[in-house]
Amino acid sequence: MNQAELVLFLEASVRLGVPLALAALGETISERCGVINIGLEGSIIAGALGGALGALAFENAVLGVGVGAVAGLLCALVFAVVAVGLGADQIITGTAVTLGGLGMTGAIYRARFGATGTELSLPTLAGVRIPGLAEIPLVGTALFDQAATAYLAYLLAPALWFFLFRTPYGLELRAVGESPDAAEAAGVRVVRVRFLATLFGGLLAGVAGAHLALAHTGTFAENMSAGRGFIAIAVVVLGRWNPALVLAAALFFGAASAFQFFLQALGFEVAYQIFLALPYLLTLAALAGWVGRARAPAALALPWESKR
Amino acid sequence: MAEAPAQAVGRMRLVESLVLGAAALALTAGVGAVLLLLGGYDPMAAAAAMVRGAFGSWTAFTSITLVRSVPLILTGLAVAFAFRAGVWNIGAEGQLYAGALAAVWVGLQAATLPPLLLLPLVLSASLVAGGLWALVPTLMRLRLGVGEVITTILMNFVGIYLAAYMVHGPLQERRGVFPQTDALPEAGRLPALLPGTALHWGFALSLLLAGALAVALRYSRFGFQLRAVGASPEAASVAGRIDVGRILFVAFLGSGAIAGMAGGVQVSGVTFALYEDLSPGWGYTAIAVALLAGLNPAGVVVTGVLFGALQAGAGAMQRDAGIPASWVGVVEALVILAVLCLDRVRRRVGKEAS
Amino acid sequence: MTSALVRLEGIERRFGAVMALSGADLALRPGEVHGVLGANGAGKSTLFNVLGGLLRPDAGRIEVGGKAVILASPRDAWSHGIGLVHQHFTLVPRLTVLENLALGTRGPGGRPGAVRDAALEVIGRTGLSVPLDEAVEELGVGDRQRVEILKALLRDPRILVLDEPTAVLTPAEAAGLFDLLRDLAGDGRAVALVAHKVDEVLEVSDRLTVLRDGTSVLTCSREETSEAEIVRAMVGDDDVDAAALGLGDRAGPRGVVGQHESRIVAELVGVRVAGRGGSGLDGVDISVRAGEIVGVAGVDGNGQRELAAVLAGRLAPESGTARLPEAVGFISQDRSREGLVADFDLTENVALAFQRKAGFRSGSWLRWEALEGAAEEIRRRHDVQAPSVRTLASSLSGGNQQRVIVGRELEMAGDLLVAENPTRGLDIAAAAFVHEELQRLASDGVAVVLISTDLDEVLTLSHRIMAIARGGLREVEEAHRTRQGVGSLMLGTDDRNG
Repeated sequence: MNQAELVLFLEASVRLGVPLALAALGETISERCGVINIGLEGSIIAGALGGALGALAFENAVLGVGVGAVAGLLCALVFAVVAVGLGADQIITGTAVTLGGLGMTGAIYRARFGATGTELSLPTLAGVRIPGLAEIPLVGTALFDQAATAYLAYLLAPALWFFLFRTPYGLELRAVGESPDAAEAAGVRVVRVRFLATLFGGLLAGVAGAHLALAHTGTFAENMSAGRGFIAIAVVVLGRWNPALVLAAALFFGAASAFQFFLQALGFEVAYQIFLALPYLLTLAALAGWVGRARAPAALALPWESKR
Repeated sequence: MAEAPAQAVGRMRLVESLVLGAAALALTAGVGAVLLLLGGYDPMAAAAAMVRGAFGSWTAFTSITLVRSVPLILTGLAVAFAFRAGVWNIGAEGQLYAGALAAVWVGLQAATLPPLLLLPLVLSASLVAGGLWALVPTLMRLRLGVGEVITTILMNFVGIYLAAYMVHGPLQERRGVFPQTDALPEAGRLPALLPGTALHWGFALSLLLAGALAVALRYSRFGFQLRAVGASPEAASVAGRIDVGRILFVAFLGSGAIAGMAGGVQVSGVTFALYEDLSPGWGYTAIAVALLAGLNPAGVVVTGVLFGALQAGAGAMQRDAGIPASWVGVVEALVILAVLCLDRVRRRVGKEAS
Repeated sequence: MTSALVRLEGIERRFGAVMALSGADLALRPGEVHGVLGANGAGKSTLFNVLGGLLRPDAGRIEVGGKAVILASPRDAWSHGIGLVHQHFTLVPRLTVLENLALGTRGPGGRPGAVRDAALEVIGRTGLSVPLDEAVEELGVGDRQRVEILKALLRDPRILVLDEPTAVLTPAEAAGLFDLLRDLAGDGRAVALVAHKVDEVLEVSDRLTVLRDGTSVLTCSREETSEAEIVRAMVGDDDVDAAALGLGDRAGPRGVVGQHESRIVAELVGVRVAGRGGSGLDGVDISVRAGEIVGVAGVDGNGQRELAAVLAGRLAPESGTARLPEAVGFISQDRSREGLVADFDLTENVALAFQRKAGFRSGSWLRWEALEGAAEEIRRRHDVQAPSVRTLASSLSGGNQQRVIVGRELEMAGDLLVAENPTRGLDIAAAAFVHEELQRLASDGVAVVLISTDLDEVLTLSHRIMAIARGGLREVEEAHRTRQGVGSLMLGTDDRNG
């Protein structure tokens, strides 16, 4: 493999890693306060369709991302009302939101573009080249000649780290995830924190979905989220609920997804289904080898109700 | 990862679960109708098309509705069985593919065996494969403490891609035209249950299994231990002196085996071959099926047929009322959410009243 | 006459059908330590939570500094200068002490640096020394309590309210706490001490209020009253069994069982176990004979849970030997989590343990008629207040849940019964019932190990007493069979390496 191919591989790794990073960073925040949102997949697909429809309507990809974010947030709102507001089981609620999100986007897409699904051609997010940084050999273009959403992920990781570990609000959020009763006794509004964090997660998942539609392909397809919501949740575990590590883990999985280009460049003939399964297998292996040493927030996935 | 609390829905008497189920369906119908109206469709026309498609004729009911209900009942039983034990098996989809794959493979390998041997062999292969597919998440939970929700979902994708790989590669039909396997020999197929319809013996098998599970959960020592572990692992271990790990192991693998059999029954009863997208997401729909049934095996039969009707009617709805069949996913989600919401409300009201 | 800093009048609060408070009054004056007494279930904790803004009263009036206020949240309570020290720790285990102190203090005060300075200042003033950068989960119980108090003092409250603060302390630690409370009151604060032990409250309080059935039935200064009057006020009945309150003969039934006459039923020799969130067991020896009650006294977190688990056959020793009988009954202190399945009915909860017993199963099947009969028997014999054996455990009161557990485990205890804080959180009648059952079981020849943090309970019931401290178990000699004697062994201070 020559240098041009390597650059291509790295560039694809980042491009594929960014939506995972965005979704996983949002999920990190919600899991830190005790909410595991399996409905993330629903938010991502909603964000993808919202992004596509928004970009078409406004003929502007950036506004499309905004619409996608709102769509992702709406999905998370359904989850939050049932799982956080009413205190229903988070896993099952999330599964339902994912099912509903996939079904609803499919139905809307078909209603809008016909049963066969005409090939969409959307305005795409232009690459933003950072002068100077993009000139770094090898990794320069991979990291710094990307869609704006990539830079959002780069900036969010340190910002969320600072928020979580250096601000009183982050402290309260972590306390809610460790011990909601103690947090309540300390005057923290537990349900509100969980609600807002979940919505934030949905918002970012929506952006991730919009990125899929507008930065990758310039099109929308049914089920195009392809399980990224679930991988993002695994990425949070691998990143040990730490935004900086989560970003790194997401980029690693982007690389796993881009691996097929790498191997094809090396001249290997491997069925593409194997490549498609690779990120899931890698995630499983990483969970098996790594998670034993990481500790999830103590109140993760536990519904909470005030005793008042 | 932290484990979710054991109980998806609270303890219910039979009457309560019937009322809850009916209320959830009514709520789903209401919300669904509003959504259809918002989308510019006529809900009444949709409902009429759906009912016609599912129940419009004897053939429609037996050959479409009941046939489609078989994999839903079986995966629904798998999910109910696991959830009862506090095992969050979201992996019925992957286990189903593993079962289908093994059934086809064994059926083709041993094609010359007589029916009396081949059919049981095919179905057993699917059972074993489904259980094995659940083994990885089981061991990861019991040995490494990795929560099964994510791992079972990941295994679904692996299973789906494995099946896709096999039908494109090693197991592709000899003609090499379509991405599907050769058809199972006659001896490996489930015979018809009702002459003149497509309904196969798999339906009877799923009823039998539902009955067996219902009896086992209610009356057997193991079933009771499983329910105790699901309701409170701590109390089961301390007050019940029950080996919780053993129960979880058996429940998890058992659930996987049942889901695997759903795949085996589908290929030996309906499709006779494996191809990509064999399942339209039965493993996920199964969660709605199981929950709406209050995790009761007998109830799963009823809700399985109901969802079979929904899927059967969806085709007619798309044809006659122009409503995309993807809509079924929305209805399934609404059912699950309605059950969860009503159950929460029921418990809150119960708490206030007591 | 000093006017009250806080005045509560006619406070009412209902939980479902239960009236937890029905007209409670309380006035706290500056400079006083005020004891709030009551039996379990009298409404003390509810009143405490109302003061802290954690529970809103259904009716009644709260005044702070003469002005009516609404305490709708903990923040409201703080802003009126009320600081709380909870009985059940409200610390977040995985956060550091400093982070716990900073929790809830938003704005510039939430900066770790500012909180650290403030904490060091309070530590310097009160001597409440704790390691600020340690995770709370690494701390012992006494340290955690100090963190709780420190947390409350950081906000410089004019009113400090403590809920059962001595429950986790040794007598010596409790004495130190009382000194601190008097100092704090000396600075013009009002300090309220919610407790159920009369002698403790009398020791430290200037004035006291007694609650019964959610109502204030007695308010007076310490000089005006006597222990006997307080007890009568708490119980509302003149001929109550004083022993149930821990006021009776603390000598206990010592020497009733001849040491050499009955056989040894259970024996641990040199047992070591790693700790799970506390100290483990560090070379423990104990032997229990048929017909005797061996009391194990100690402060929570000193290896009791591990000792109970080993004796109940649930935990294998890492080294040393455990000789245990077949038929062991086990009453877990964690009633709602480990003792019962809330979503099971009475029959199923009995079946939980009985599914192991012969006669209740045939092959792989359970004999539900027999189990239902056994449940019915337990319900009748132990006076469980439930409409039928089909009633779900979750709809029973704590006392009735414990009756079910005790009834069931007595049946399981053919040779040995291990009881872990069996009366914690029970009202007087329910506690007395449990005590009677333990004594009856012992007189029937079953060996009983009573592991309890309630020193009075251990002193009253046990034939022999052992003290547990930091995973070590030591026999208490006859001469040291007093609160002070056992208490000093509980501290584990004069450890002479076996």
